[in-house]
Order: sequence, then C-alpha cells, then structure tokens
Amino acid sequence: MSTLAVMGAFLALTVLTLFPAIMVISTRNVLHAGFWLLPCLIGVAGLYAMLDAHFFVVAQVLVYIGAILVLILFSLMLTRDVMNPKAPQHNGLVGVAVPICATMSAICALLLARHPWPAGPVAAAGAQDQTVALGRALIGTYALPFEAASVLLLAALVGAIVLAKAPQSEPPAAERIECPGGEK
Amino acid sequence: MTVGLSHYLILGAALFGLGALAAITRRNAVAVLMGVELMLNAANLNFLAFWRYLTPQGMEAQVFVIIGFTVAAAEAALGLAVVLNLYRDFGTVNVDEASGLKG
Repeated sequence: MSTLAVMGAFLALTVLTLFPAIMVISTRNVLHAGFWLLPCLIGVAGLYAMLDAHFFVVAQVLVYIGAILVLILFSLMLTRDVMNPKAPQHNGLVGVAVPICATMSAICALLLARHPWPAGPVAAAGAQDQTVALGRALIGTYALPFEAASVLLLAALVGAIVLAKAPQSEPPAAERIECPGGEK
Repeated sequence: MTVGLSHYLILGAALFGLGALAAITRRNAVAVLMGVELMLNAANLNFLAFWRYLTPQGMEAQVFVIIGFTVAAAEAALGLAVVLNLYRDFGTVNVDEASGLKG
C-alpha cells in the first residue's frame, strides 16, 4: 500500500473512533450512547489491524464488542426508564471538566508530537509467528502475570455473582420443600 | 507523509481525554463505565503503538494489553453488579443521587 492510502486509512479510522466517542459523551439517550460505543470499538480494532496486532483485532471484537459491550447494553436495558430523559444527562462539572480534559489531551498530544520518535515502523514478524510467540510468552516468561490476570478475572466474576444475587428474604430451604418436582 | 508513532499517541491522548470527560461528566453510572472503557482502549492503543514502532520483537506490550483486556472484562462484570445493586437499593442509577453518606 502506498503511504497515501495508509494515511487515508488512518484518518478514516481516527474519525471512526473519535466521532462515536464524542457521541458517547454528548448524546442524551444513554442507550444510544451504548450503541455509539460499537463503531468506536470497531475503529480501535481497525487501528490494531493497522499496527499489525492481528491477535488483538480478534480479541477486541470478541472481548470488547462481543462481551463487554453486550454487558453494558444489558445493564442499560435492565435499568431502563430509571433516569428521566428530560432531566440533564450531565452533572454540573461540564464547565470545569471540558477545559481540563481538553488541556490535558492537548498537552499530551503536543509533548508526544514534539518528541523525536523513530520515523517508520520496524519490520514485525508475520501474523502466525507473532501469535505463536505471544502464546509461548504467556506460558513461559509471562506465566505469572497471566495467571494473576486469570485469578483477577475469576475473583471479579465470583464477586459479581455475589453482588448481583438478590438478597434472600426467606430461608431457601422452605422454598425447596414447596416445589419438590421442580427438577427435570 | 507516513503514519508515525506520534499519530497513534495523539489519537490515544484524544481518546483518553474523551473517556475521562465521559467518566467525569455523565450522570448515568453505566455511561461512566463506558468512559472508563474508552480510557482503557486508549491505553491499549498506546501499548500496541509503542510495541509496533519501538519493540516489535518484544512481548511485554502484548502481555500488558492482554492484562488490560482482562481488567476491562472484570471491570464491566463488576460494574454491572454494582449498578444493579445501586438500582435495587436507591431506585436510581444516577451517580449524583446515589449518596448514602451525609455531606
């Protein structure tokens, strides 16, 4: 691909990422904000593809879009109609937060743009070699952080189940006696 | 003009700023979680951009991104549980109104 095509693809993915992100913040309907997150995450997956991180393109689509976004939409629908759509969707910090966040991003962008980074991307290994190397690293050198992440995920899932379980007002044993034929 | 590392980093900074803005200003608790997800995405994008341009032979950045994905999944699962509890206890998912402490 020519450099112009690469630049065009990057700019298109930038718009695909940043415009939905702005809509996530600004749209009044929270469910629409959840749906605007979808093109944003797809844009980030496209940027991963441009960075030759093939494994993470798939992981982004599977984990972020397939799991996390569905979970977010799920919780939005479970708590639907709770917030009055006529009420303001933003708190009183907008006037303070917008300049602060804009200044923070602008300072970061300015410093990062001025730093003399290496010009072009260094040649990376092919998709298969990369994934093989990542798999080997995960069970070899980086087994401990990977397992720590697994334990974190397990603890989070158990904690989520415990938190989301409805509080039991009646002792569960009494319910089991009432419906003995419930199992199939 | 080629796409350099700084382009990705500037995009990551912008995405992080937008995510922080969503997390700070949104009143709906789930929308706050969406802002956190945007910030995590910006961090992952920066990790992979640094990996691609500076250390394509190393595996550190990719392992970090996998842990970032794990943290994002854990955060979404716990966030859903917390929001459901908030809804059950306060009848609202508005983070302004859900205040059990005085002050």
